[in-house]
Amino acid sequence: MSLPAREPARPPGAARRTNAAPGRNAFVYRPTASPQEAAIWTQRQVALTNLRTVAGRAYPRVTGLLREKSWIFFEILLPFLSTSAFVFVYRALEAPPQYIGFVVLGGAMTAFWLNVIWMMAQQLWWEKSQGNLELYFAAPMNIMAVLFGMAFGGFVMSSSRAAAVLVIATTVYGVTFAIDQWALLIGVFLLTLAALYGLGMVLASLFLMWGREAWHLTQLLVEPVYFVSGLNFPVGRLGVLGSIAISILPLAVGLDAMRQLAFADAAYPIGTPSPAVEALILVAMTVVFLVLARWTLVTLERRARQEGRLSVRWQ
Amino acid sequence: MSGIVEPTRTQPLAIDVRGIRRVYNVKPKPVVALDGVDLAVEPGEFFGLLGPNGAGKTTLIKILTTLLLPSEGTARIFGFDVSRQTKQIRRIMNMVAGGEQSGYGILTVREQLWMFSQFYGLPSRDGWNRVDELVEAVGLEEQTAQRVSTLSTGQRQRMNFARGLLNDPWIFFLDEPTLGLDVSAARAVRELILAWKAAVPGRTVLLTTHYMAEADELCDRIAIVDHGRILALGTPDELKKRVQRESVFRLELDRLDGGAAALRRLPGVVSAALAAGDQADGGAERRTVEVNLALVDDGALGGVVGALGGLGSSILALRKSEPSLEDVFVELVGRGFGDESTDDDHTADAANGAADKGAGNGSVPGLRADDPNVTDTTDDAREREAEAIR
Amino acid sequence: MTTEPAIRPDAAGLASPEWGGFDMARTRGRGWPDVRRSFTTAVRLGWQMEANWTDPVLFFIYSVAKPLASALILVVMLDVISGGAKPEYRAFVVVGSALWSFVLSGVSGLAWMILDDRERYRMLKYIYVSPSDFLAVVFGRGVARIGVGAMGAAITLAIGVVFLNVPFDVSRIDWPILVTVMTLGVGSILAIALLLAAICMQTRQESWSYPEAAAGALFLVSGVVFPLSVLPLPVQALGLLTPLTWWVEGVRLALFPGGLTAIGGPGSLFTELTGTAGPGAAMIVLVLLATGAMATLGALAVFRASDRRAKDRGLLDQTTGS
Repeated sequence: MSLPAREPARPPGAARRTNAAPGRNAFVYRPTASPQEAAIWTQRQVALTNLRTVAGRAYPRVTGLLREKSWIFFEILLPFLSTSAFVFVYRALEAPPQYIGFVVLGGAMTAFWLNVIWMMAQQLWWEKSQGNLELYFAAPMNIMAVLFGMAFGGFVMSSSRAAAVLVIATTVYGVTFAIDQWALLIGVFLLTLAALYGLGMVLASLFLMWGREAWHLTQLLVEPVYFVSGLNFPVGRLGVLGSIAISILPLAVGLDAMRQLAFADAAYPIGTPSPAVEALILVAMTVVFLVLARWTLVTLERRARQEGRLSVRWQ
Repeated sequence: MSGIVEPTRTQPLAIDVRGIRRVYNVKPKPVVALDGVDLAVEPGEFFGLLGPNGAGKTTLIKILTTLLLPSEGTARIFGFDVSRQTKQIRRIMNMVAGGEQSGYGILTVREQLWMFSQFYGLPSRDGWNRVDELVEAVGLEEQTAQRVSTLSTGQRQRMNFARGLLNDPWIFFLDEPTLGLDVSAARAVRELILAWKAAVPGRTVLLTTHYMAEADELCDRIAIVDHGRILALGTPDELKKRVQRESVFRLELDRLDGGAAALRRLPGVVSAALAAGDQADGGAERRTVEVNLALVDDGALGGVVGALGGLGSSILALRKSEPSLEDVFVELVGRGFGDESTDDDHTADAANGAADKGAGNGSVPGLRADDPNVTDTTDDAREREAEAIR
Repeated sequence: MTTEPAIRPDAAGLASPEWGGFDMARTRGRGWPDVRRSFTTAVRLGWQMEANWTDPVLFFIYSVAKPLASALILVVMLDVISGGAKPEYRAFVVVGSALWSFVLSGVSGLAWMILDDRERYRMLKYIYVSPSDFLAVVFGRGVARIGVGAMGAAITLAIGVVFLNVPFDVSRIDWPILVTVMTLGVGSILAIALLLAAICMQTRQESWSYPEAAAGALFLVSGVVFPLSVLPLPVQALGLLTPLTWWVEGVRLALFPGGLTAIGGPGSLFTELTGTAGPGAAMIVLVLLATGAMATLGALAVFRASDRRAKDRGLLDQTTGS
């Protein structure tokens, strides 16, 4: 290990280089008169800290993407091929063309669901395994801000994947969209994301209490959720199961509404609410999930502190 | 130690712990990690917690840093309750643990620290500047662009310290911060802590360590903890005095006619014996004689010195042997750090999630090797000395 | 006075009668017995990690829900379009989907072992420097997931037969073919798994989804749930070079003699090249053997190169979370 050259004339902490603030002492950043003064923050300080936390936590996610580019192959090209497989299933069945579009849209939206469960739901548990969680909880920001940061960082990758799947598949397989209500479509898309990431936050808090269960339950949330969400077919075909999915799963209701809006000219199977109603369901889901996430985080943080689980590793 | 703010009851204690009990409900039976701890640390104090593995040190730190709730009792940091006022506490404290592996390996040192600066609400540009200042202060300039995953243990710990200082904490919790560091790195870390603390009066440090001499060097007061209880509390000198029942000196003489027996007859002498080497060699080829001498108190030394003149002996060197903190520790705890702790301790460790980071021994990285108090406090040296006196 | 606990070499096994303390001969190891021991220990550990996180009921649900859901997605797709008019295609889809869950488990097990032990348990470097054969440990850890995958596949098939009207007659199973193609197929799956483990040794922590993504791409070209003939010719050619295509075809042939073929048929590259409607059992076994051997050799070469690069760049004990 290289040690710093000893310069007795320079007191420890005194700045030497120009990129550090000249004349500043590294050991004094913003002097406060007392601990009590330092502990009382204004609402503005609290809000700014949480916003900065979002940026801070998103940073490693985005940097990681730029620094190691294997994800472009594994997260964009290969998922496109997976989606293509279902396109060919419909081709083999000589299905009407809009079904190809259903698959492409479903393939694009899976990117967000995978991001929510892999890079958000189990992330607090993962942070605990890495020893970061106790530092998060020992810092003054709201842990929700950390989750938002993770979500935003992951969103960069997911949206790249979704866009790539949508554009390439649309081009290659000749999907034609017929959109009458652009505003509603965009609104439904954004609401779907909000509800999805809200659900991700709820799951992240729940998984905080678990060990390897979290990891396995994450996997359990992939294919079964694809199925009940009607990933490659209209969810209305599932009957009661589809209705239940629409009422609890953002992916199911969002996908159904977007399909209705993106393929307005197609004879869409009935059995599900109209896009406008589904947009309202998404609004409700967003509110419920965000409130629930906040409540579960506070509750489970308290329980984790009671049970000493915030720093238990290698479960 | 300077920097202690005189207690005025308008200003709350930096740490105010009352009747804290913490029980882990683990199988096969619940483990009591803390069993009724009371502690009062003044603002500006450098306070040490000494104890073997599983004693409850880390559990106490986790409670004070708001990561764990006490089962019973209350704890306050600068007047803020650790159970209810966590936000306030988190704004004014920080912590660093030995062997800490936190962060994201894919980031560089500079990026990692900037990320943490955002968690403490520093404006982005301020964050980068502050990181540069701290990176320089901890001596990591060469590693700023290096990925965190490639840092050595010492470099990593320096980075952890930079992280811990990002928010200008008023109270700094250090859980065995020099664990696993080499001599130079450990010394650098200790200098860093002292320099940071000296920069603003009122800054408080709570340190847990296995290294007795480290605690002796740094701490204003020390609590010795075992089985979840505080066994003794005081300044290092006060603690040492608890075990110092006699004054022990080592004399180097040019000659000693009549041997140690001549000294034993003198008033105030409890015991006298030739040092082990002198006994073994028989003194035939040696030009000096070393004697270990136990007196009822320091005042008896004058009589001994006078009597030695009468015996025709000249004193070439005289050194007083002080008891060390390790002596205090062994007397209170009944075992040294190297000994196995009880099953309960291990369970407590497991429950607490790597609560203590492995057993240390008496040697302290970075403390001066030529310090007689250090070299003489090894078990072997003291054992030889005691044997010789007997 | 401190009393250091004495080290007792006999208790620690350092002076066991077998070894008689330090013995230079020990550095030579014991060959296959060592590999076998490493492998069985890794299998046991892998199974514990895979299975003991919950109670048996939840573990059962977990093991079955994934493959069953995958199969159901395809069954509903089929029913949406054909309205249940193509029962033979339903069997084709259910069997392919069940087999694919086995592939998914198999290919991800080894890669996840690398990521798990490096990033989470931080044990990879210790396994690496132990005298145990590294590859034996990696394979051993992957076996547990293959076991879980096999269980899921079998139950999905059973559900397909009982509830989804998949025609199945145990007396018609061609056991020799089944055993042969399963053996060769598992070897091929492990080869692909090794390839992905080699890749994940180089990539960052968030590579968990890479094996599934790779399996998803192979799903397209392996004739799992639709015949290759619907694919463009170059993609069909790629599929014919993939051992998994021949494995799935072989298992279908063994379980449902006379059923649909994924490789041959009108418009397929295979039929164009060979002039036959579909491959026979012998051809399936031979091509599976050949493509599997190529995949194995390729995977071993890539793993060796990855291993060398990891040592060169110090990747074995890195943590790369973001």
